[in-house]
Amino acid sequence: MNTSRPEAAFVLLLMQATFWVAAGLSAIPFALAGEVFMVVLGLASILLASLTCLLAIGLVRRWRRSRRWVIALEAVCLGGSVLLLAVPIGANRGPVSLLVNLALPLVVIVLLRGKRMRAAFTR
Amino acid sequence: MFEIAPDHAIGFFAGLLALPIALIALRLIPARRSVPGTAQAAAVLMALSGAIHLGLVTTHLEEPVTAALFVMNGVAYLGLSVLLTWRWWRLASAALLTATVLGYLVYIALRFDTPDQVALSTKLIELAALGLVLVPVRGESRPRDRAWYWATLAAGVPLLTVLMGSTVWLVDLANPDAQHVHAGAVLQATNEVATPEQTVAAAQLYAETKAAILPYQDWHKAWAAGYRPGGPSNMPSQHWMNEAYEKAGYVMDPQRPQGLVYANTRRGPLLLGAMFQMQHLDQFGPDPGGPLTAWHQHENICFTPFGFGFSLMTPFAICPLGAIDISASPMLHVWIVDNPGGPFAVDIDPAALAAVRARA
Repeated sequence: MNTSRPEAAFVLLLMQATFWVAAGLSAIPFALAGEVFMVVLGLASILLASLTCLLAIGLVRRWRRSRRWVIALEAVCLGGSVLLLAVPIGANRGPVSLLVNLALPLVVIVLLRGKRMRAAFTR
Repeated sequence: MFEIAPDHAIGFFAGLLALPIALIALRLIPARRSVPGTAQAAAVLMALSGAIHLGLVTTHLEEPVTAALFVMNGVAYLGLSVLLTWRWWRLASAALLTATVLGYLVYIALRFDTPDQVALSTKLIELAALGLVLVPVRGESRPRDRAWYWATLAAGVPLLTVLMGSTVWLVDLANPDAQHVHAGAVLQATNEVATPEQTVAAAQLYAETKAAILPYQDWHKAWAAGYRPGGPSNMPSQHWMNEAYEKAGYVMDPQRPQGLVYANTRRGPLLLGAMFQMQHLDQFGPDPGGPLTAWHQHENICFTPFGFGFSLMTPFAICPLGAIDISASPMLHVWIVDNPGGPFAVDIDPAALAAVRARA
């Protein structure tokens, strides 16, 4: 079955992984300034970005497990973002935040769900 | 960086309006069936970006060069979003998208414009479009060098994204506006020069606060009064907060400041000053000293309950894994030690803090 949805999801996951790498790297100056625990979070972010890249490659190769893991990952991201926006802690609600934290995971889930997509992932 | 510039707001609305129109227009192009869905999605995103650029023309008429570039960009994007089946579509689209993102970075680096949410979200849309233009898909009718495209996509899009994020961040941190006194802190709007009455009021607030908190030079008394240290104890200074005073909502009461600031020294905590804090976000407190006693609010901080560490949110509105984006309600510090920035400065000067610690 020829569909370009997994490739579209690949592009979005690649962008998401890049955002996480940037967030991971951004923690390093604060770790150097004394917030030592931030280095752990920075490394965890980069690790998550690496995992996301692997899952994205799995999508292009039509690995069934990749599709499931990506949907689960994006559902967690989406749920967390909705929770953050719902509680009054002053989380950013600007267009970039909405695009990156809500729209991106939502679009990835929409791209990968459904019977047709399940059938496309055969390996 | 985290606000929408007033002259960019129209671009945001143009983009919102363009999205449904672009989706409907795409269905009216019969040739769309001969191209993959990724190319169709890229065409919609380019139409969106084109509409945003054209929308911005009306508010940039006083800047002819910028307005002309917006027109050229907008028309080119709209044209390419229609010419989906053109032989050189991918190459032309990739070139235009890359040139637009790089052009924007040059523009803000030269300070012709300041980064804002409309510009950043438009660049993210363009980066996503670039990825969709480049990504090879299975069963394409037109053959192309797939390995070259994969390599360009895997290396180029992340590189351009990081370049964009770091440039925007550096420009924003290096050139804060008048309301952003330091990274992540937004200052209360006040008159520019303090009046004689405001100077007297500020001096009175300082004297009353200093007299009220002097007993807390003995940190045991602060502890007995309900103040508790927060955040990492390995930092040069530490805020001690009084939960009861925070909940009670006292407003700039010198007898009951919500927080105390101590320097961490070899001989134990050494009192640096007090901190008043409001209960709710965006509600700045009374400002008797005008510009001398302006409150500040910390926005877009990445805070982690694990280890109580913090960093700043990236331009992509993302925090490191395990940290969440928060803002802290308005606060006003009163420093009782010598501070080059003044007794009500947002922060204590690092050199002054180091001198205090060295004396201890």
